[in-house]
Amino acid sequence: MFPADFAYVRPRTLDEALDLLDEAHAADQEAKLIAGGQSLLPMMKLRLAAPQVLIDIADLPELRGGGWMGWAAGGGFGGSLGALSTYRQLGRHALLTGGVIRGRTENVTPHHAEGIPAVTDVLTVLADPQVRARGTIGGAVAHGDPASDLPAVLLALDAELHIAFRKGRHPESHLGPYIPRRRSRAEKPSNIGRREITLDDFLQGVYTTDLAEDEIITRITIRHRGGAVSAYEKFPHPASHLPLAGVAVVLTYKAGRLTDSDGHVTDLADGSIAHAAIAVTGISPRPYRARAAEALLKDAFPTEETVAAAAAQVTTESPGSANRVSLLGDQHASAGYRAHLAEVLTRRALAKAIARGGRNS
Amino acid sequence: MPAARELPVRVTVNGVPRTATVAARTLLVHFLRDHLRLTGTHVGCDTTQCGACTVALDGVAVKSCTVLAAQADGHEVTTIEGLAPDQADGLHPIQRAFKEEHALQCGYCTPGMVMAVRQLIEDHPDPTREQVRHALAGNICRCTGYQNIVAAALRAARAAATDAAAEREG
Repeated sequence: MFPADFAYVRPRTLDEALDLLDEAHAADQEAKLIAGGQSLLPMMKLRLAAPQVLIDIADLPELRGGGWMGWAAGGGFGGSLGALSTYRQLGRHALLTGGVIRGRTENVTPHHAEGIPAVTDVLTVLADPQVRARGTIGGAVAHGDPASDLPAVLLALDAELHIAFRKGRHPESHLGPYIPRRRSRAEKPSNIGRREITLDDFLQGVYTTDLAEDEIITRITIRHRGGAVSAYEKFPHPASHLPLAGVAVVLTYKAGRLTDSDGHVTDLADGSIAHAAIAVTGISPRPYRARAAEALLKDAFPTEETVAAAAAQVTTESPGSANRVSLLGDQHASAGYRAHLAEVLTRRALAKAIARGGRNS
Repeated sequence: MPAARELPVRVTVNGVPRTATVAARTLLVHFLRDHLRLTGTHVGCDTTQCGACTVALDGVAVKSCTVLAAQADGHEVTTIEGLAPDQADGLHPIQRAFKEEHALQCGYCTPGMVMAVRQLIEDHPDPTREQVRHALAGNICRCTGYQNIVAAALRAARAAATDAAAEREG
């Protein structure tokens, strides 16, 4: 099977890539970015996609590597992942999946990183080793696939996307002049515009995201709270391995002491949950945060009853709402069955995360 | 550099630099099979599922039906033909283990299986049975039921460990 005919180009810099996008749109040509190509090429071979120009961004240095923003109090950290990071590279990053972290110089003492178990979980059940060697984190979010594993875990980790675009679009661009929709960074002496957006705002619907046709995702940042426990559980389609439903959870327990004005000391580390993040994929037009279920876990103790009560609300649209999220069904699994799977998987993921223990549990 | 429908690609295949001018839409597997006549790499499902087309790209196992030849430009590819250049019997220890464990029937999936096992042993020199099964998640065999393939992977890992130990002792 061949893709439909297209023209290919591999720019060496972000600047060049943005120019190519701009030129293609000015010429009214459909251009697509390709990185690992593990979603795009199969779609092109099936002629579900037939871009006229393919811009290979694999060589853009700005989209590579993991720059780490360092350590927050309590052992948490923030990480910035290049959009070109492959699943395989993420799976070998000690800060994400646990292991020994060594400094660039010998003055930095190597230390053991706990990793983020939900990341390890998702990277072992996602696609297969060969696909994980090529598929990228940027592609995973840009594709907007409703049945995609990684975005659920990234949503639960409060991921933000960094996006670059050409300031002062081509005069003939059908996209018109650029009007910032969200905050953009301080101006730098270049004509590359930058903006940041949460993954939650970025994902919109089936194969639909906030990414404009002339924009490139450069980096993805995640935040991990110290002492957090996490897990990802999925029910894979037996042939495609895609999730019929998948649930990521990240829990943080209360920690520390509170001293009031009378000098009374309250130990906050009573084993109750300070913060819960639950993200669901595979059952709705886009992966979503289950805010109603999260609200039931906040300040609660991680008992079997609490877990079951929260899981029962995992398809509720928002806290206190009587509406369900919009559900997808197809020939593989009905909407009702997918919703049922989401509830069961939420229970399993919460139980797994809780069993993994926390600093204060 | 403008976008082109036809372009020259230069790929180091099994240690030898090879060049060809190909259509941009040429897949790496067709570049290997049709342009270089390296037909050991098979096209199975052609939909990124069966793994018969597995090759090593810059040393990492990938599915060559889902990589463009243009994406491999400037990179290194190892195919099943390049696995055992120095072996007297022409077989890599993994291939020998497949033979000894009778890990194939029709043989169509075998080149991809061998290339996937090569990656497994590189990542996990002493793999568990479960790690072997996970490593073969992207390779489909319709004959064997996988039992003998798993046995061959474990045997190949043991052979590689023995070879490495012998090398250390000089």
